[in-house]
Amino acid sequence: MADAGWAAVSWPQEYGGRGATVLEQLVYAEETTRARVPMPLNVIGMNNIAPAIMQYGTEAQKLTLLPRMMRADDIWCQGMSEPEAGSDLASLRTRAVRENDHFVINGQKTWTSLGYRADWCQLYVRTDPDAPKHKGISCLIVDMSLPGIEVRPLVTLSGEADFAEVFFNDVWVPADALLGPVNGGWQIATTTLSHERAGAARLYTEMQMRLTELVADLADVHIDGRPVLEDATTLRRLGEIALCIKYLEVLCQRSISAILHGGDAFGSASLAKTIWGEVGQEIAALAFDLLGSHTNGRRWADYRLTSRSLTIAGGTTQINKNITAQRVLGLPRS
Amino acid sequence: MNLELSDEQIALRDTVRSFLAEKASIAGHVRPMLEDPTGTTEAVWRGLADLGTTGLLVPPECDGAGMTMVEAGIVLEELGAGLHPGPWLSTAVAATRALTRFGVDSSTAAPLFSGIADGSRTVAVGPLDGVRPAAVELGDGVVLRGTIDHVWDVAAADVLLVLADERDSTGLFAVQMPTPGVQVTPQTGIDQTRKQFRVILDDTPAQRVATASPDTVEALVDDVAIAWAADALGAARAVLQLAIEYAKVRRQFGQPIGAFQAVQHLCVDMYETVELARSGVIHALWAADAADREERHLAAIRAKAFAGRLATVADNAIQVFGGIGYTWEHDAHLYLKRLLSWNAFLGGPDRYLVEVGAQFAESVLH
Repeated sequence: MADAGWAAVSWPQEYGGRGATVLEQLVYAEETTRARVPMPLNVIGMNNIAPAIMQYGTEAQKLTLLPRMMRADDIWCQGMSEPEAGSDLASLRTRAVRENDHFVINGQKTWTSLGYRADWCQLYVRTDPDAPKHKGISCLIVDMSLPGIEVRPLVTLSGEADFAEVFFNDVWVPADALLGPVNGGWQIATTTLSHERAGAARLYTEMQMRLTELVADLADVHIDGRPVLEDATTLRRLGEIALCIKYLEVLCQRSISAILHGGDAFGSASLAKTIWGEVGQEIAALAFDLLGSHTNGRRWADYRLTSRSLTIAGGTTQINKNITAQRVLGLPRS
Repeated sequence: MNLELSDEQIALRDTVRSFLAEKASIAGHVRPMLEDPTGTTEAVWRGLADLGTTGLLVPPECDGAGMTMVEAGIVLEELGAGLHPGPWLSTAVAATRALTRFGVDSSTAAPLFSGIADGSRTVAVGPLDGVRPAAVELGDGVVLRGTIDHVWDVAAADVLLVLADERDSTGLFAVQMPTPGVQVTPQTGIDQTRKQFRVILDDTPAQRVATASPDTVEALVDDVAIAWAADALGAARAVLQLAIEYAKVRRQFGQPIGAFQAVQHLCVDMYETVELARSGVIHALWAADAADREERHLAAIRAKAFAGRLATVADNAIQVFGGIGYTWEHDAHLYLKRLLSWNAFLGGPDRYLVEVGAQFAESVLH
């Protein structure tokens, strides 16, 4: 996969990708999702961190870091959220102080996906505590094996160790770990353009697959001696979800069309993410209601729990709504 | 994959939008027409025809533009946004699609098509559901017998196209209006911008113009439903826009109410619903001309299934307006009523949601 560039189809060819067009990415996303290809372990690195390195990194950073990332020789995590900086990310407090040709880092990150197995971290730190909060943040590329870094897995509500807390205690990193300009970290966090431009295709395809799997699991289920798939209440709930997924599909395709043809993207990325999360939770609720106590219902019980994260991770639905209200609808800031 | 409007489509939208704002505004035209059974005036209808809108779906050989439902949908969205009360959907969509779908003989269809395109004829069509009247041979001709409910725009119509049952089939019949023996009574629904009538046909002479197979009847009903959905999208878009503009300027506690998250999230929920509806309408308008029977029908069913959620946009808009939105003088209630009449058309959304669910299950299991 890596040799032929299939591990990173959206990356430019000079970095080992296939430089796929938006439409090619759309097809790739739809087909790999339909074929139930697992998401790459390094997806955060490949979709979110690599574009920042390509855009802001030095030649040395690009050459040493990107090939190993694509081959999953190095696993990457992002150090963003902190105990006191969740939705309000810009108030982060992890400090990095310049000492000659090093930065010395102290602080704590949390909800760090893959933190317990990452080799590298794209870390956001405060380098100017006196500047306005958005203007004193820098981005560092940190080797997770350095002394002073301690990782504690966080066990989620479903019993799995999906993410971690990461503690930094006098961690010395060389000054060339800086990505982009000093105090320019917020810009990297908010303006890096992912090459993955048809990612929306995964949203509706994923939900089509989930609903398809649910219906397949319901095929032999009976309530009071009647097939559940002939029950009007069940079909109505199924209809609500199927309808929403179909409209989400067209909404995502409108968003991709806007990218291709320079149209108005109408804040569609945020809308699509919100709808995707809510649809996932509705599928989970329907599945658990019908199959929660069923012998083959275990994975739906798990999904009933883990689907809660769909409206939290990567920006809560409520923060997304604030952003849409202010940036798309033009309502005033509160 | 290009879902953007073309320059010509944007020009069509802007032309209709400014015509309605200047010549058929809510205060200047829609409200005065609330009690009028025709819902239109000579000047406004002439204006819509002169812009070429009534002939959008009329074939070019009959002086029409020969366009698709996508262009009709652009006009309908503007008509919905302007709460337009005239017989445009009946004449320019339902009648032209009936003539086309049923393959009406060109010698019969041509004068109707030309009259629709040049604005000299308005046409009503029904019934789209429920019991059809009977067509009975009497002497040398055919007469129609029976009662039809909820036919739109009959008072404005020069011609009434009636679906009626014959001995072994269903036919399309033309009745010239007014005709003695046709009793037309207004049926006041929830929405006074939509003119509905009970039509009692008492051995009314009619001209048989085509045979209507079950498939073509279904196609016509789908066309009308999809057209209605585009109109409803326009109404929802417009009332959302009014609510957002109000939230920016209405001040309480020393700030615009649009700065409060509770109001912001309400507006975003409405916006999400409108953009989902727009996605469905874009697909359905395309499907009306370009998709196979199954996909087109499902697109129409989905639009009906979404009608209940779409109406919540007007409910929530009134919530944003507060007390002023609850008054007769404010336009919000007119939008709510327009969306509720789409909700009620062909029956409420529940059974359509069940149908969408059943269809999805069927597609997985077979």
